[in-house]
Amino acid sequence: MNAMRGQMELWRLHLAVIVVGVIAELIGIRKIPFGIGAILLLPLLYAFVMAALMNPNVMPKFAKFIGKKEVAAASPLIVIAIMPFIAKFGTTIGPAIETIIAAGPALLLQELGNLGTIVLAFPLAVWGLKMGREAIGATFSIAREPNLAIIADRYTLKSPEGAGVMGVYVIGTLFGTFIFAILASVFASMEYFDPRALAMACGIGSGSMMAACTGALTSAIPDMKDEILALAGASNLLTYATGLYVGLFIALPVVEKIYEATAGKNDAANAAHKEA
Amino acid sequence: MSESIAIESSKRPKIDIVDHAVTLVIVCLVGLIMNTTGPGTAISDGFVGMVVIYLISMAGLLLTRFAPFYLPSVAWISLVGILVTLPWTPGSEWVVAQAKSVDFLALATPALAYAGFAIARKEIEIAKHSGWKLALVACFVFLGTYAGSVLIAELILNLQGI
Repeated sequence: MNAMRGQMELWRLHLAVIVVGVIAELIGIRKIPFGIGAILLLPLLYAFVMAALMNPNVMPKFAKFIGKKEVAAASPLIVIAIMPFIAKFGTTIGPAIETIIAAGPALLLQELGNLGTIVLAFPLAVWGLKMGREAIGATFSIAREPNLAIIADRYTLKSPEGAGVMGVYVIGTLFGTFIFAILASVFASMEYFDPRALAMACGIGSGSMMAACTGALTSAIPDMKDEILALAGASNLLTYATGLYVGLFIALPVVEKIYEATAGKNDAANAAHKEA
Repeated sequence: MSESIAIESSKRPKIDIVDHAVTLVIVCLVGLIMNTTGPGTAISDGFVGMVVIYLISMAGLLLTRFAPFYLPSVAWISLVGILVTLPWTPGSEWVVAQAKSVDFLALATPALAYAGFAIARKEIEIAKHSGWKLALVACFVFLGTYAGSVLIAELILNLQGI
């Protein structure tokens, strides 16, 4: 019963999560009118912000209740807290299996949508902001754990490419839920795209990104809640299977080639210039 | 923290099943409180639903630990959740009905609260050090990935005519 005792010693952390969570749930989903549509604020966003404000690393003055021990213990608890959430998503996929199979080709191929980052983010980083090799790590993928592993393996995380992927990884960890809630709200507000396509695209990131994305979508289009959850969940499951390979065999080689063919030449020329 | 994540994700981690079983009970109880507060589901319905969710999660963890090949725990849990709710699985209607009384957003709230408490000093340093350029690039990475997936899915659905 060491496990029990270990968790009991963390009562402050669990109590803080309950208090923060209950306040967040009581505030509930709020709509902020924005241009043509509305941005949806979700309890999970308030919970994250309130917890971050009680975190001694963010707000050193509030270090009284939550200490170093709690912060260290919270990290592995995220993984466990996401498990019931994933289980719930699984139970939405089973009953909708016929919808999933019918949408199979779209579900499989939208995994290649990951490459959209090369079209949009890579030019901005390399030509717009004149970034160096860190642009390779930053823009080849959505920078979740499997993509970190790819860069760590090929360049190490201490290289410029590693700094790039780590930067996007951390920004995704800190702000990913907000970005995905906004993305889904805006895309749903346009009322141009098929909600099923918006739902599939919600599965491309981490579990919490999917939560924010599907939360915003189901609030905007409540009639299709079951279908949205099933398609997003199926897409997220596929991402575990395909994400690593799309990154490793397609996205990273493509980004490297474009970089070497364009900005890489300048790097080499500059280096030669300095030496001369 | 990040180095270890990168390495762990390619290897099979040793999962302490008892430890996870206990922690999962606490996490599910916290989730049940959220499910009762926010969506306002009766606690008796929510409790049975949570027990079902707990058992699915535990089955997934046991498979992660003992299956002949390795998949991440989230993948196994998801697969178990699918399997027990397929229309041709005996008793699936009951499982689906119970799971319906648990709200997916209520389960995400505590996970994000733990995430807020878990922010490490190193992460704040990396975010500061990366600067506004990388933050802007990150926004475009997410936008590009999301929009790319939407466009391809939209195109294929149109081609299929469904």
